[in-house]
Amino acid sequence: MAERPEDLNLPNAVITRIIKEALPDGVNVSKEARRAISQAASVFVLYATSCANNFAMKAKRKTLNAGDVMSAMEEMEFERFLQPLREALEAYKKGQKGKKEASEQKRKDKEKKSSTDENDKSRDEEEEEHMDDEQEGENEGEEEDVEN
Amino acid sequence: MAATAPAAPAEPELDRSGAEDEPRGTEPEEDGGNGQAGPTAGAQQQHRLAKLPLSRIKALMKADPDVSLASQESVFIIAKATELFVEMIAKDALVYAQQGKRKTLQRKDLDNAIEAIDEFAFLEGTLD
Repeated sequence: MAERPEDLNLPNAVITRIIKEALPDGVNVSKEARRAISQAASVFVLYATSCANNFAMKAKRKTLNAGDVMSAMEEMEFERFLQPLREALEAYKKGQKGKKEASEQKRKDKEKKSSTDENDKSRDEEEEEHMDDEQEGENEGEEEDVEN
Repeated sequence: MAATAPAAPAEPELDRSGAEDEPRGTEPEEDGGNGQAGPTAGAQQQHRLAKLPLSRIKALMKADPDVSLASQESVFIIAKATELFVEMIAKDALVYAQQGKRKTLQRKDLDNAIEAIDEFAFLEGTLD
């Protein structure tokens, strides 16, 4: 399945809901307008990604991080997004921490029960899952910028 | 996914999220984040913070051949930014509908907004 960027759409129902919540009651949106907004959103993702990736490449990193996205927003002149994005990121990080603790707890429970083989396997999976968080902490620290 | 990600196998990412195309209607989406904090059966809790499915956002990001890896956080932030973008463009387009004394947002209102507003210049020529 060759996926071109243009083929990757965001789910209509979600886009519609976001639009409706942004607009006052009693306002309708034509199907064409909705479709165009959805397309625009996909283009936005692509453009923001490309922009953010430039920052990562400049810093000689292979992993795009949240700080890169923040820089991209500024570059794209969407400074108005920065504050809400910072807040959302904080909430997200807190949630991630809870998830990490929960799955580490699970792993500890598993270790009590089973053999080493299983442990290695599950540990690999979990490292992949968390890899970016931990790696970023070690390697990059650009994310501190974000938190400021 | 086509060979865009040289570092592929260790995708630091969320296919485990299951937050794909779930009909989010059933969940309280209201983004004030009612302390989404419950670190319970967790994986899906995160994604209440973003309305758009992170897996889809990530797929879009990976379509860029220069992008090898993206942190979970970056995917989330882009999802969130996209949401803000949709809100913004809808509101800006509405101004044109209202000028035309209409209560229905139409495609031409979008076009007008894109032409008039600097931040939307990147969209010119990209929409069908």
